[in-house]
Amino acid sequence: MKQIEAQRNILDFTLSSLFRRKGKNTALVLVYTLIVFLLASVMFFTHAIRNEAALTLKDAPEMVVQKLMAGRQDLMPLEYLEKIRAVRGVSSVKGRLWGYYFDPYFGVNYTLMVPGNEQIKPGTIVTGEGISKNRAVEQGDFQAFRAYNNNTLLFQITRVLSSESALLTSDLILMSEQDFRSIFGMPRTHVTDIVLTVKNPRELGTIANKIVQLLPDTRPIMRDEILRTYDSVFNWRGGLLIVILSVSVFCFVIFAWDKASGLGAEERREIGILKAIGWETSDIILMKFWEGVVVSLSAFLLGILLAYAHIFFFSSLLFGPVMKGWSVLYPEFRLVPFIDAYQISTLFFLTVLPYTVATIIPSWRAATIDPDLIMRS
Amino acid sequence: MIFAPPILALFLGSLLIGAMLLYASVYGIQVLKKWDIKSGSELQIILERKTYLISTIVSYAFAFQLLSLFLFIYTADDLSKFFVGAMCAAGTLKVNSYGYPALILKILNFLLAGIWLVVNHTDNRARDYPLIEKKYMLLLLITPLILAETAIQGMFFLELHPNVITSCCGSLFSVEAAGVGSSLASFPSIPMKIVFYGFLAATLASGFYFYRNTGIAGYIFSLLGTCMFIVSITALISFISLYFYELPTHHCPFCILQKEYGYIGYVLYALLLTGAVSGMAVGALMPFRTVKSLETIMPSIMSRLTLASMISYALFAAIATYQIIFSHFRLEGY
Amino acid sequence: MIKSLEVGKVFNMNRPNQFIALNGISVEIPAQRLTVLKGPSGSGKTTLLSILGCMARPTSGRVMLKEEEITSLPERFLAEIRRQTYGFIFQQFNLIRGITAIENIMLPAYPTGEKRTVLKKRAAGLLEIFGLENKAEASIEWLSGGETQRVAIARALMNDPAIIIADEPTAHLDTKLSQEFMDIMQKLKAEGRTLIIASHDPVVYGSAFVDKVIEMRDGAITDSGAKA
Repeated sequence: MKQIEAQRNILDFTLSSLFRRKGKNTALVLVYTLIVFLLASVMFFTHAIRNEAALTLKDAPEMVVQKLMAGRQDLMPLEYLEKIRAVRGVSSVKGRLWGYYFDPYFGVNYTLMVPGNEQIKPGTIVTGEGISKNRAVEQGDFQAFRAYNNNTLLFQITRVLSSESALLTSDLILMSEQDFRSIFGMPRTHVTDIVLTVKNPRELGTIANKIVQLLPDTRPIMRDEILRTYDSVFNWRGGLLIVILSVSVFCFVIFAWDKASGLGAEERREIGILKAIGWETSDIILMKFWEGVVVSLSAFLLGILLAYAHIFFFSSLLFGPVMKGWSVLYPEFRLVPFIDAYQISTLFFLTVLPYTVATIIPSWRAATIDPDLIMRS
Repeated sequence: MIFAPPILALFLGSLLIGAMLLYASVYGIQVLKKWDIKSGSELQIILERKTYLISTIVSYAFAFQLLSLFLFIYTADDLSKFFVGAMCAAGTLKVNSYGYPALILKILNFLLAGIWLVVNHTDNRARDYPLIEKKYMLLLLITPLILAETAIQGMFFLELHPNVITSCCGSLFSVEAAGVGSSLASFPSIPMKIVFYGFLAATLASGFYFYRNTGIAGYIFSLLGTCMFIVSITALISFISLYFYELPTHHCPFCILQKEYGYIGYVLYALLLTGAVSGMAVGALMPFRTVKSLETIMPSIMSRLTLASMISYALFAAIATYQIIFSHFRLEGY
Repeated sequence: MIKSLEVGKVFNMNRPNQFIALNGISVEIPAQRLTVLKGPSGSGKTTLLSILGCMARPTSGRVMLKEEEITSLPERFLAEIRRQTYGFIFQQFNLIRGITAIENIMLPAYPTGEKRTVLKKRAAGLLEIFGLENKAEASIEWLSGGETQRVAIARALMNDPAIIIADEPTAHLDTKLSQEFMDIMQKLKAEGRTLIIASHDPVVYGSAFVDKVIEMRDGAITDSGAKA
């Protein structure tokens, strides 16, 4: 590395020579930007949604206990509640009422739930945004549900849940306990499952073990496990997309190699002149290095900016479905922007590194042009 | 294996770096065998051209290698949430038996790569490639290490299964447990402080002396600088970290990398690594200070390296001392 | 100043298209004099010029610059000598299109690491000597033939070289411009520089202040002596 001044001079010349070959370099920067954009979009989305999941699950119950029958979830009898309440270390136990209602007309599953923290007036419901949009109904309208015994029950919508909570509540319908039991025919002696809180979070594992010992046909689920599973899924999906996109990275690398190797006649002549008038091979390599830096930096920044806009302003139009999963009822939600040095450096390794590797040998070939080339031609 | 993007990036990075170095080494051997700076033959011209390529490839490879150390640590830290019992990188690395070896190798390779880059830079400033043989022999030494690192890092990631229960840094670096971590943690703190500040003083003193009168002192400084690296890390685990965590039992060297502590860990480790690389590089270049073509540039390179090493260690000690004085935590009553 | 001893140059050695450009060339280029290499195209004068100018290495023989051997110096060293000691003027001037005149002149000095402002001042000074101050920021494409010629010479002088080398400088110029060129060369010689010009143009080799003419044909010297 020569002194700073020499670097600046060479950088100056590099910039002007990049501009002199605008056509070729623009194509390269565009493709490069596209690659960064695609990868960055995947990464930002994965990261942001993992964060989102973690944030929303923060308020989820520490432990949920479900009863199993023949390996599937069964209704939880109320006696179990009392037995679990008696386990040492458990500070509170509550039964939950929730279930899925299939709407054959729209081909959609709604989640019906009795909220634990408010009383819904019988005959009324509170619906999530997705449902109100889907069925084109609003506050004040009436909705019909078919109960288990073929009766039709009518409910009035008193409120639609806000779109901010859409990620969790889009397909949710809240109702009173007696309406719930009327629709599903669930007996008064049972609930869907149980949530509990413990005095010492470190004891969660031990308590879960005790419950399973006490009631062998139950299954405790811990919030952290859910968190990890979601994290895993998004991670995995993100990784999968990247592997698929790696094909495009590979093509980009070949493209970059080709562009770098294809030294136009004019460029060859210029390098010949430079070498003749006293530039060393290392100076030309430096020049090529700065070229790479300028190209990579602009494509990288541009790609990241575009990806940011794509994910956080345009809600990842391109591959939202793959990441979020298939569902007819789509919550419209805006992800909270979240990028950090970690993602940037990962992106760097996935894009700038391959580009650099692809251009080393072509740059060197350009740099080792004979100084007497100009004299000979 | 966890399919996360950072892991894919590290995989890709290691493979590319390993491939680049292998390519460079193969050509390097060719160059070494036939190199003859005095002859003006066509073969020599071709070899000279080749060295430009080899140097460029290796420089890029090592630059990325330096970055990958940080990405690796950050990834280990970020993945800790997948493992029951892990709260930071310490736990992640313990998930299988490849984690800590991978880390140690990566640090070793970081240091060697840094030294190589300094030697290469020096060689390039002279006109007749005085260090070329040593440079390529060093490269041939480093390449197998890098390949080993790629393999071990790869195994580490492949064997990373999310449901494995691992140990938290609390148990790895606690005083009661067995193992290297806890031996480091359980060094009694007053003797450790003496050792740390003592070594610091010795390193700085020898650095000043060497700065003034370049000579054999360079070897001493380099040796001290290298030891300082190990002493500093031990000190970090033994008592410095306590002041950051403000807990008498939290010795973990990885938790200071996390957000809660302002990512100060990265600063501290960057300083230590810089200090180590520049100190070791002084030692690497010492045997060649009498080479004729290096006469004019050696002094300035040596003094810059010495300064860099001294300042890095001094800053590290300054930050640590600041924390010791101003933290709310009190050890041994002061 | 420059001596060559039994210099030979073979292109594509040991291959079917092997070509012997120079054979057993021993010449002496006197310091601070104007030497002309005369001969038809294909005589090897351009090849000899590039060897004397530190741009290429001979396949056999030795080359001495100011009593120091430069035959087998590493390319890095050669490039440095080339930059410091030589200034080149090419057949088609070979200025870089798309940048200004003054930038073209500054180019040879970029790698030296001197401050840009210093370089700019020096280049401006050179432009002034040639009466081109007002063309400093002009793009090369807009200069006339004569102006381009002078910019090319100014570029050759950027690093204040002791030796100027010119390869067929008047090949694409009319008589008037050729004459102007030789006038400038005369001035440079008066400043104490060594000049080597390869040319088969009578305006060049017939000029009054040429000190030595080396005639070449088919890669060998046919006549090397003081001006005939």
